[in-house]
Amino acid sequence: MSKIVIDHLARVEGHGGITVELEGDTVGSVRFDVFEGARLLEPLVRGKRFDEVAPVLSRICSICSAAHTLTSLKATENAFAIRVSPQTELLRELMFRGESIESHALHLFLLVAPDYLNYPSAIALAADKPAPVLLGLRLKKLGNLIQEVIGGRAIHPVNAVPGGFGKAPAIEQLIELRSALMQGVSDSDAAMDVIASLPPADFCHCDTVYAALRTPSLDSYYEGDEVMAVSDGSRAIVHATDYKLLTNECAVPHSHAKHSAFREKPFMVGALARLTVNPRRVTGKLAVAKKRLKLHLPADNPMDNNKAQALELINDVERALEIIEQLLRAGVKDEPPVPVQPRAATGTAITEAPRGLLIHSYTYDAEGRITAADVITPTALNAASMEMHFRKAVEQSAERDDATLSRKLQMIARAYDPCISCSVHLLRRQ
Amino acid sequence: MSKPTVGIFGLTGCAGDQLVILNCEDRLLDLVALIDIREFLMASSENDTVSKLDVALVEGAVVSKRDAGRLESIRERAKILVALGTCAVWGGVAAMDRGSDRRKLLEEVYGEAGLSYDTQPAQALHELVKVDLNITGCPIEKDHVLAAIANLLNGDLPIYPSYPVCTECRMQENNCLLVDRGQLCCGPITAAGCKARCPDLRVPCVGCRGPVGDANAESLTAMLAEKGFDRQAVGARLRTFAPAGVAQ
Repeated sequence: MSKIVIDHLARVEGHGGITVELEGDTVGSVRFDVFEGARLLEPLVRGKRFDEVAPVLSRICSICSAAHTLTSLKATENAFAIRVSPQTELLRELMFRGESIESHALHLFLLVAPDYLNYPSAIALAADKPAPVLLGLRLKKLGNLIQEVIGGRAIHPVNAVPGGFGKAPAIEQLIELRSALMQGVSDSDAAMDVIASLPPADFCHCDTVYAALRTPSLDSYYEGDEVMAVSDGSRAIVHATDYKLLTNECAVPHSHAKHSAFREKPFMVGALARLTVNPRRVTGKLAVAKKRLKLHLPADNPMDNNKAQALELINDVERALEIIEQLLRAGVKDEPPVPVQPRAATGTAITEAPRGLLIHSYTYDAEGRITAADVITPTALNAASMEMHFRKAVEQSAERDDATLSRKLQMIARAYDPCISCSVHLLRRQ
Repeated sequence: MSKPTVGIFGLTGCAGDQLVILNCEDRLLDLVALIDIREFLMASSENDTVSKLDVALVEGAVVSKRDAGRLESIRERAKILVALGTCAVWGGVAAMDRGSDRRKLLEEVYGEAGLSYDTQPAQALHELVKVDLNITGCPIEKDHVLAAIANLLNGDLPIYPSYPVCTECRMQENNCLLVDRGQLCCGPITAAGCKARCPDLRVPCVGCRGPVGDANAESLTAMLAEKGFDRQAVGARLRTFAPAGVAQ
């Protein structure tokens, strides 16, 4: 028996690895290993008051800290039956878009592009070809600027609180964001062109189940409380309160991240899943981009998640501009957060973080102190699907040398845009 | 003159402090031209994991034997070791209740399998090795890490504020959330450097930068108790980002 071991996955967030066992040409066990230390944040947050929960649980992950914060607030508000104002909804959606722009730009240009162009890092890539790296950095900065203006900080936002925001942005700040986003329109088009021009990555094909938030309006990362899973024409819907159906947990010894399956099949979450579940989003400019990227939905190649992110960059910039226009038309009120009346209750929230479905579910006592917290992250949801694609890539590879196989495995792992700090939070005793 | 060699490392945490470095979008390419980055796993797949380093920037807390081993080997390699962020400087959120029974929590969350995990109570870096410079913050401020690198390039150490968030908040002429509104704000005992970001947005300080040098937690707790806050709850809040007993 031989083994392919990737000890320490580079150019991803957190500490993880890959192990594939081979018996001749037959693939034995396949593992996505998580070495991230257990921080036990969910039990540690117990006893905290409702307004202390989001600032602790956002620390699960920096790259998705806005999504963690807003999903946490939504779960808390669901528990206490709080309806936030339409302005708050818009500002929160804008934060999601800012985070998605930052995260996708970081992922595509600093972490993924070096793979396709044979460089060890974006720094090395920039020494030869600065243009794509500078483009990625500009988009990344735009995403961060949105998060700073609306959330008060690019990482671990502070301005979003239960019931609303500490302070609404000033009109001048929104006007400044609007002009930055105008530049973002041409930058996101250019980004799509760069991604479309990368050499093809065609080495792993199989039927895949996709799961994403089903939103009442056409296009939101934040609204809605139903997940739709799509595979081969058949579809199924899971309501937020039944989220455990998505996480048929099985504890695995090699990882602190528990593995998920829906109706016994692994499923993929993230940009590609969002486009597959909500195909009506892809019209106009996005339809043109989809053609240019040669992206066919439903896709049978996990590497297409990179293309889907490029398409979402265009969509995120467009949507952020629309939201700002809407806010400027309506005028921004400096409204105080909706007051919180605690009660003993459970609240669950599902949203779309940059890497896919994110679930927070909390139980509170009558004084508004949290008694149980459950956080399920996209990378943990993706773990089983990643392993399935690792297996297919090795099985389908004509070249059997370690270097080629190892490169393919790492490219698949990175296409999932894993966030390993996040993934730790899924192993649960049944 | 050859460029100083630098390694950027993450132990257990959210990677937010490394992300702050990558978030210096306007200066990133200039910055990497001034230094020779030998190891930065989050950004590069080609890493030199053995050579000596002039500076090691280390984020995250130590929560496993694996972390402790990595920290020791980084310390051996580096002339100057910089603790990056509240987790590295104070232990951070993972250390908030490190007196509690970890085995019980592990078993509760992970089942019996949890008992076999490589895990130990969260510790700040200086509890295990000598730290030459602390840059606190959850996450760190961009300006602070850039100032640190600029100073270190010139053979100096940067100087950070030694006063509380309150001072910065007052300088911005904000109404006091604690005195005027009776909210549980950690501004009086938390290290400044964030320009009072939260109270400036009318959101109470949660203490994410850890305690200021001469923090008088007892006096703040007494004042809050007078305002009707439960002593135990106040204590728990003050210890969210920096556990009791981590002296610098």
